[in-house]
Amino acid sequence: MKISLFRYFVRQALANILDNRLVHLVGVGTMAIAFLIFDTFVLVFVNLNHWTVEWGRPLTMSIYFKGTPEKIVLESIEKELLHFPGVTIKRFISKDDAMETLRRQLGDKAGLLDGLEENPLPASLEIILSRDKAGDPLPYQMKRKLERIESVDEVHYSEEWIERIQAIMEVIKLIGIVFGGLLFLAALFVITNTIKLTIYSRKDEIEILKLVGATNRFVKIPFLIEGSIQGFLGGSIALIILFLVYITAITRVDLRFGFASLDIIFLSPQFTLFLLLMSIIIGFIGSTVSLGRFFRI
Amino acid sequence: MIQLFNVYKSFGSKNPALIDVSLTVNKGDFVFITGSSGAGKTTLLKIIFCAEKPSSGHALVNGRNLNRINDRELALLRRRIGVVFQDFKLLPRRNVFENVALALEIVGFPLSLIRKKVHQTLRYLGLANKEGYYPPQLSGGEQQRVAIARAIINNPLILLADEPTGNLDPDLTMEIMALLKEIHIRGTTVIVATHSQELLKDTRRRIVTLSKGRIV
Ligand SMILES: Nc1ncnc2c1ncn2[C@@H]1O[C@H](COP(=O)(O)OP(=O)(O)OP(=O)(O)O)[C@@H](O)[C@H]1O
Ligand SMILES: [Mg+2]
Repeated sequence: MKISLFRYFVRQALANILDNRLVHLVGVGTMAIAFLIFDTFVLVFVNLNHWTVEWGRPLTMSIYFKGTPEKIVLESIEKELLHFPGVTIKRFISKDDAMETLRRQLGDKAGLLDGLEENPLPASLEIILSRDKAGDPLPYQMKRKLERIESVDEVHYSEEWIERIQAIMEVIKLIGIVFGGLLFLAALFVITNTIKLTIYSRKDEIEILKLVGATNRFVKIPFLIEGSIQGFLGGSIALIILFLVYITAITRVDLRFGFASLDIIFLSPQFTLFLLLMSIIIGFIGSTVSLGRFFRI
Repeated sequence: MIQLFNVYKSFGSKNPALIDVSLTVNKGDFVFITGSSGAGKTTLLKIIFCAEKPSSGHALVNGRNLNRINDRELALLRRRIGVVFQDFKLLPRRNVFENVALALEIVGFPLSLIRKKVHQTLRYLGLANKEGYYPPQLSGGEQQRVAIARAIINNPLILLADEPTGNLDPDLTMEIMALLKEIHIRGTTVIVATHSQELLKDTRRRIVTLSKGRIV
């Protein structure tokens, strides 16, 4: 596209916005409300996600030994473990305990184990890691540390908890996608109709443009730019309102409950930018859709 | 240049606006279309620049069959046809300069050239001091001249003028007719629709008379 033509389109779009201030004000306002609902939903979703990840940390870790550890070794390991914040010792399982458990699990078929000359099961220590706070060692870091100890054979940690939390998150995500998708469509519908309003208010103008030989593209492009600008304005307003509400909410919550551990987070800058970009795209798509309807008439 | 074959145009149940109209206008012709109010003059012009499609029959303009023309071809054809509408069809929220510049902007001329040509044309039509005015601030005759400026600025192949002197006093009427003559001499095919017998009094040009949608 020629630069002069592009400049013409942008100039036209801006002039149209100024000429139709009221219609645009209504349009941008409607969009801001639609986006605000959508963005609020996204923020709630992001926080739920954040909390479940936080709470999903506790997990059990099993430290398997080579042979039976000496009492003194065991005690020194336990002492060292307790240096880490958030670690609790659950129990020590000796080789015999492990065999006993296995026998119980096998039930009738426990006789199979009678043939064994030596107990092949390792002794182990079960510990529980609680919620990870900033600066705490992560499970895999602890695993690496522990495995360096002479008498320690292997370290396993169960991902059961994480898996269960992840399963819950999957469900929440699915609900989020469905619900968010519906909200998105509703916003698109509202926005499309708002833009249609601005287009209908200029029906005569479009007709004249076409009568003097303007191509469809020439007529449409300023509207697409207008829609994108509307989307940008609506999206920005929604995000600004959301941020202000967020700021007010966290100070209030802090004052009333002192909810220090249940922190509410805002959207990351990247995500905020992404939502803004989405608003622009929705404005663009909205105008494309409403123009399509208009040009068919 | 323009050929109509047995064109009918009906807008619904009542009498058709055009009945069995066949007409050939050659390149470089100057034709008057006349007839009383409601005879179908505007409708005939609308068929030619494809604002309306014939209900039956065919219309060929500059070698294009208007029954089978796509949006893009139609836009390109309309750029070659200047139209002075009976109701002007100026954009009320754009000033005189912008209204006239529109015809060049849609073609994609550079701004400097657009400025030059618009100034020239407006001066030619005695509107040089009205560039910044908006159509509602102009008299009927001034609006009419803006419409003429927009129609002729891109040197069209065909100029269709629907009552181009309808709002003008006798002096201005003579000026506009002289202007149309000049455009015609430069090679443009001109069709003027008018019910004014005054305008046709002394002309030796071809006159097509419509009556209740038929050529008589
Ligand atoms: N869009 C329309 N819908 C319905 N009827 C129409 C339409 N346009 C024109 N007509 C009818 O067609 C007939 C011819 O109209 P047209 O505008 O062509 O007349 P005209 O010769 O230009 O008249 P005038 O000298 O008053 O401008 C009229 O009876 C009018 O009512
Ligand atoms: Mg008429």
